[in-house]
Amino acid sequence: MRTDRLLSGMGKALAVAAIVLWSIFPIAFIVLSSFKPGRDIFAVPPKFFFEPTFAHYLNLWERWGSFFDGLLNSLIVTAGAALLAVAASSLAGFVYSRYSSRMLSGSLFFLICIRLIPPIVVTLPLFPMVNWMGLNDTHLILILLYATFFVSLGTVLMRTFIDQVPRDLDEAALLDGASRLTILRKIILPLVAPGMIAVAVFVVVFAWNEFLFAFIFTATKAKTAPFVLSEMISSVDGVDWGVLFAASTIQLAPVLLFVIFMNRFLVAGLTAGATKG
Amino acid sequence: MQARIERLRRNLTGTLPFIAPVHVMVLGVIVIPSLFVVWLSFHASTFGQAATFVGFDNYVRVLSDSYFWRSLLNTVIIIAVAVHLELVIGLGMALLFAAGLPFQRLLLVVVLAPYAISEVTAVAMWRFLFDPDVGPVTVAIRSLGLPPLDWTFIPEHGLALVGLLTIWLHLPFTFVILYAARLAIPKDLYEAGKTDGASPIQLFRNITLPLLAPAMLIAMLFRYIFAFRLFSEVWLMTQGGPARTTEVVAVYLYLEAFRYNSFGTAAATAWIMVIISLLLASGYIWRLRKETAANAH
Repeated sequence: MRTDRLLSGMGKALAVAAIVLWSIFPIAFIVLSSFKPGRDIFAVPPKFFFEPTFAHYLNLWERWGSFFDGLLNSLIVTAGAALLAVAASSLAGFVYSRYSSRMLSGSLFFLICIRLIPPIVVTLPLFPMVNWMGLNDTHLILILLYATFFVSLGTVLMRTFIDQVPRDLDEAALLDGASRLTILRKIILPLVAPGMIAVAVFVVVFAWNEFLFAFIFTATKAKTAPFVLSEMISSVDGVDWGVLFAASTIQLAPVLLFVIFMNRFLVAGLTAGATKG
Repeated sequence: MQARIERLRRNLTGTLPFIAPVHVMVLGVIVIPSLFVVWLSFHASTFGQAATFVGFDNYVRVLSDSYFWRSLLNTVIIIAVAVHLELVIGLGMALLFAAGLPFQRLLLVVVLAPYAISEVTAVAMWRFLFDPDVGPVTVAIRSLGLPPLDWTFIPEHGLALVGLLTIWLHLPFTFVILYAARLAIPKDLYEAGKTDGASPIQLFRNITLPLLAPAMLIAMLFRYIFAFRLFSEVWLMTQGGPARTTEVVAVYLYLEAFRYNSFGTAAATAWIMVIISLLLASGYIWRLRKETAANAH
């Protein structure tokens, strides 16, 4: 019996070690390597103790100024998309939670089905349209695209969260003559802040990391950080791994910290999003 | 009756401004462009030229293009291998976590970490780890006397690497869905089973598996649909090469449209993608339709 326990304990420890290694090793390796002196990056076996240096970060600053512009663009686009998606989803989620009619349930069904359309499909007609409207290479087009591809999930999430707020609260306010917008703003939204955060987490992670739309719809002015990273990866005169690792570290650190701090909301959002449509 | 109609009318007009922003966005950015793709798919057009109606020509051309079939086959292989592996590993992890682990909260955050990583950054990591000359994983495999992945030359190896990367990026999603579903199973069931003298394997087969099945199905469906859109990983890892052997459907579409300027065939490919996505999700849509209809009253 005791050896049995010991064996299962060891099996568990091994499984946990494998999971940790699998999840963290690629990230930790890149972050560590960004501080390694050039020759140590390629050392065999990999060095885990070395004299840290900021040389790659300095090189990045000197040679890839566009990366830092990209970070700023990513920040603007991410903030814009998150605000737009949370606002639009909260408004719609409120109505889908509190009112019901054949038309409303039909339109909600339609919203959920929209999630099934692959994003690359809309690039074909949007590409000439966006050019024609002069929206090519602007923050606005990316904000619109990123927010729109998350409002259907966002609406469903907000509806699920608002469903949990007792109706008596807003019905009482309605009798007092409060408008729907006031009820939403003053009573509902403060109670469903976790829902709004969950929606924001989805949009922030998506918008900060997205590649396809940025690649197709931006060129120079609104180019996002992942797009600049992709240029570094496929740089014609060979990849400068040290600089690429420095840039990757800067790109991933904020969003990784964000996910770590918001993990509860992310888990709640993923679970509700998958089970409620 | 009169009162009911009156209430309905007031409901609809008053609520319209609330749902309008979401619907305007979705219609303008997704629905109308998608319908325009249908029109495009029946016309021959290159960027900047007037379109001419060609019927099903574009569909015939795509469906008789061996590169399209190769890309579809690659996509299906990656989905079949990656999604099912994700499910099995995710299930194992969910059970491990549900049984209780030291530092559980910390471990959960560790497992979630890849969710935060951009496909682009992930490709940078994996390209270095598996670099044919200097990659640490390549070096490690070679020092064990095993043949390393020669993913820049051998298409199967390139696809394998893309598959691994896909699993790495999306395992957190599958895991969270299954873990949440596992936590939702009441403890009493297991206690009742144990007092009846059921073995751990019997408990798994008769309680865990049937009660997790709906969540596994949902996770699998979502992953099928999302993996079917796979683009960035392939584009940044192999660009579909060597010699167009590792293309997936989204990469094929991109090349048709933006490299060969053939918007008609690209649009036909796009609609084939939409139709396959809808078919994959048809069971889910059916269930949803019944649920939303039931909620309406």
